[in-house]
Amino acid sequence: MLPLVPIVLASLLAGTVATFLAGRWARWVALATSAVFLAEVGGMFLSYSGWPGYNAQSVPGFAESVSYPWIRLPWMQVNFTVGVDGISLVLILLTAILQIATVVYSWKETKNPAAYFGLVSLTCLGSFGVFVALDVLLFFLFWEAVLVPMFFLIGVWRGPRRRYAALKFFVYTHVASIVMLVGLLATVFYSGATSLDFSAVAAAAPGLSPVVQTFLFLALFFGFAVKFPIVPFHTWLPDAHVEAPTGGSVLLAGLLLKLGGYGLIRWAVEVLPAGFLHDRPIVFAAAFVSIAWGSVVSLAQRDLKRMVAFSSINHMGIVLLAIGLDSSLGLLAAVLLMFAHGIVSALLFMSAGTVHHTFGTRDIPAIGGITPATPALATMIMAGALASLGLPALIGFPAEFTALLATWNGLGYLVLLPLGILVVTAAFYIWMMQRMLFGPPRGVPLGIHDVPWWEGVGMGLLVAVTVLFGILPGLLVNVITSSPVKGFPGT
Amino acid sequence: MAVGVLIALGESLSPGTYTDVRFTWLHLPAPPPGHPGAFPNGFSLVMGTLVDPLSALMLVVVTVVGFLVMLYSIEYMRKERGLPRYYAELSLFLAAMNGLVLADNLLEFFLFWELVGLCSYFLIGFHYERPAAASAAKEAFLVTRVGDVMFLLGIFLYFAVYGAKGPGLGWAASGFLFVQGNHAFLAGVPAGNPTLLTVAGIMILGGAAGKSAQFPLDVWLPDAMEGPTTVSALIHAATMVAAGVYLLAVTSVFLGFTAFDSLLIVALGGITTFFAATMAVVQPDIKRVIAYSTISQLGYMVLAVGAGFTMVGLYHLFTHAFFKALLFLAAGAVIHAVGTQDLFRMGGLRKRMPLTAAAFAIGGLALAGIPPFAGFWSKDDLLAGVYSTLGSHPAYWPFFLLAFATVFLTGYYIFRAWFLAFSGEPRDPSLHAGHEGPWEMTVPLVILSALAVVAGLFVYLPGFQALLLHGGGVAGIPPVYGTTQLLLSAVGVSLAGGGILVAWALWGSGRIVPTPSAAPAAGMRRVLLARYGIKSAYDWLGATGVYTVARAADFFDRFVIDGAVHGFERAFGDLSERMRRIQTGLVSDYASYVVGGLLVVAALLLVVAPYLVGRFGGG
Repeated sequence: MLPLVPIVLASLLAGTVATFLAGRWARWVALATSAVFLAEVGGMFLSYSGWPGYNAQSVPGFAESVSYPWIRLPWMQVNFTVGVDGISLVLILLTAILQIATVVYSWKETKNPAAYFGLVSLTCLGSFGVFVALDVLLFFLFWEAVLVPMFFLIGVWRGPRRRYAALKFFVYTHVASIVMLVGLLATVFYSGATSLDFSAVAAAAPGLSPVVQTFLFLALFFGFAVKFPIVPFHTWLPDAHVEAPTGGSVLLAGLLLKLGGYGLIRWAVEVLPAGFLHDRPIVFAAAFVSIAWGSVVSLAQRDLKRMVAFSSINHMGIVLLAIGLDSSLGLLAAVLLMFAHGIVSALLFMSAGTVHHTFGTRDIPAIGGITPATPALATMIMAGALASLGLPALIGFPAEFTALLATWNGLGYLVLLPLGILVVTAAFYIWMMQRMLFGPPRGVPLGIHDVPWWEGVGMGLLVAVTVLFGILPGLLVNVITSSPVKGFPGT
Repeated sequence: MAVGVLIALGESLSPGTYTDVRFTWLHLPAPPPGHPGAFPNGFSLVMGTLVDPLSALMLVVVTVVGFLVMLYSIEYMRKERGLPRYYAELSLFLAAMNGLVLADNLLEFFLFWELVGLCSYFLIGFHYERPAAASAAKEAFLVTRVGDVMFLLGIFLYFAVYGAKGPGLGWAASGFLFVQGNHAFLAGVPAGNPTLLTVAGIMILGGAAGKSAQFPLDVWLPDAMEGPTTVSALIHAATMVAAGVYLLAVTSVFLGFTAFDSLLIVALGGITTFFAATMAVVQPDIKRVIAYSTISQLGYMVLAVGAGFTMVGLYHLFTHAFFKALLFLAAGAVIHAVGTQDLFRMGGLRKRMPLTAAAFAIGGLALAGIPPFAGFWSKDDLLAGVYSTLGSHPAYWPFFLLAFATVFLTGYYIFRAWFLAFSGEPRDPSLHAGHEGPWEMTVPLVILSALAVVAGLFVYLPGFQALLLHGGGVAGIPPVYGTTQLLLSAVGVSLAGGGILVAWALWGSGRIVPTPSAAPAAGMRRVLLARYGIKSAYDWLGATGVYTVARAADFFDRFVIDGAVHGFERAFGDLSERMRRIQTGLVSDYASYVVGGLLVVAALLLVVAPYLVGRFGGG
């Protein structure tokens, strides 16, 4: 069998290096890289989703898993182990879609394009690595590898306070990474595993005493939760989004937040089950606070990007809640919601970027009635907002529906909080549309153009994905439920 | 339209339940042994179609009214911008409504339900450049969203109660279908937890109240008049608001309501009926009069469904759709001709627009319930049906009386509008002279007028009667008119006629009656025009209440949480500055640090660690 995952990794790596070196051809190289990546991942995805028969096809265990000896120590075996299961495959598909959409959207980037497109590719490469790594050291290397390009993407390109935001992002996530690394290594050493492989750690660690697991889980949880982010460790997110260029925001919201969710599912919940059960009250508290806080604070935002950033905190709070439920339905919902939020928040950040360079501001009260002048842009904003507030036939609905149903099954009437917050979420999007898109034109300069073609293609791709999986969520569900995670039949 | 009517015809010839094409939308397989979950046999959500007497009746309404509104739109909307958008949204609206009517499970119902809400958001805000329209669209979306969230919780509760029950692998595994084969899936399944079922019913009622604009979620419907009149006709007659009543009907047939829920539904219907009619009495805007009449008539339907006369409620929905669409399209013709919606500026249009005047009068007579017009038959059946339950349910009395009193108000307010618009002399010379519209506008009026006259008589067609009688095994039309029912009809018709007479006496001359200056009357009028203050309360809640909380939260986020982050950063800077100073270079200093550190470590290991282990039940 072909070692598919290393091949994809190698093609992505080669493409990234070539992009950095390609000078003025960088965008073409980046486009080719992302197209190849999408084709590889798309093919893998379609073969597992059972298309076109549209029946669940169970691929037990980690498909495409390969392992090469890497570092040999007398007391520890470190392998280069990579593999995918349904959960990671869905998130890899998200990575590939966002990469190509970002590259196309940023087609006319003029400020140091080789570095820009190279960093975009590198971020996606790092995320891909995190999703396929099945070894503690490899996982951590990729995890850190994502931070560096994102630091530069935030800190070099756009906003006036970009250095502050980039530093804040880096300190926050790096401190969290260190806590996570300590937690992971402590798990390995306490459990007596002789290999850093995921399978070895996941086999040995559940044997640890629940007390030890409780503390280890807390360390891992903190490490992953800052990435979500949860309240009150979230203030880096809005600042980073406001200062980042559009492509940076797209990858930050679409991919980086998902790393936290994926890490929690794979490396904390599965590895330390007893600790997880013990710490669930903390998980739920963090989730509920984030859900409510993110949505309510969104309502008060004037900057479109800040508003979307806080809505991300709300949505990722629902992801955390669904993970905390510890049921197969909850896990399914969490992964669906991560995919949905990745696509939809990317769409919203792209439209916010277009608003910014079309009207010179993202201040919601400053512009109004833009629909007659820029109908395509208004349509994109509306599609993103409606998908984000969970309208059926768009990808957000199946995700939120399953998440809330799982919450009802797990926590009973506590579901009233996220359900009630749905009204607030609808309110801030609908109110934003009323102010920005409708009414008499305000702050609309003469002679402006609607969405340029490259941005339109980038956003249009995301809208298409939103509609496709909104109508056929079963494609994603079949892949997710084939994962070897407890509760799924693929176990 | 043709397809819808054909399906309905087929259904009336052989009543029954037919299902077709079904595909799995989302499927969670059964978990392996040792992983118990809420749905041990797995969980499916499916999309399929179901035709039964309820949906057949609704199909006729949606397709016929939808077709006539489309036809009418050709002229009415001719001069508007954005027509492709208009017709696309209108078509999606009808498609979503048909999808809802044909849905074979609650989730699919909800999916189309949301799409119906979305389309009404789009269409109410069709003139999005007008701030009032944008605001009304927002209001419609958010108020119905409150209902939608309740509906969603209701779905969860039903899933939880019945998910593991039912034949075979259970309701959850087979897709939560309404019917399996030809039987209600849950028929014969023992009722679940009564508390949960009651709460579920209340939640479904909340969803229906949002969509069908029942008290106190009714505020959006009058404001929705900002949409084009054609859209109002569609929303009020065939789509959107009908969905709420249809939801109640479907739930009562397939899932059933508990006794408490039934009482609540009856109460809500009765109160809404009366409450909306009172607000219609003082409205100066021709479209708003009709809008309040819709809320009031929906109250009747809700009342009937609550009392157990599901098919009678839908029968009223059926006749109402025709005369309400007629009233709106006639009002639209008036607005199109004179360019205002203010009744007090119209007057004397009878001579210039005889056909429209006649159409509006027919609609008004049908609405008031004067025989032989359509509204008489269904409203009479409805009230007689509710009356027949009073013996066993004395708690229904006050709501029955409210509904009965509303008959008088209905006759009054609709003919007040007719006299103001059509009789007397024109009051505002600055308006255009009225004239009839071209054939695209008059033909729908004529067809709907004919239907408003005869739709009630359909009940004497054997096929239609069979349709009503086979509506899921619930009580149909009271078959024989006994003395009591005849008396009831006589009283009802006299009340309606009385209302019309009062309207004639006050407004028949076409002159404005000065508002009585006596304090109670004027105060009453103010309260009614202010819509009992409910709208202002919502506005205050949204604009002041929630927004203030959000602003406060934002302030807290920026200055307290992020402030703490910055404080931490400064403190860290200070700390490192001090740490730098303890690097004295003296060996004795370093030795004391080492000893101190060792002491701390020892304390941790010997005291704190055992305490923690003991505290958290180590091992």
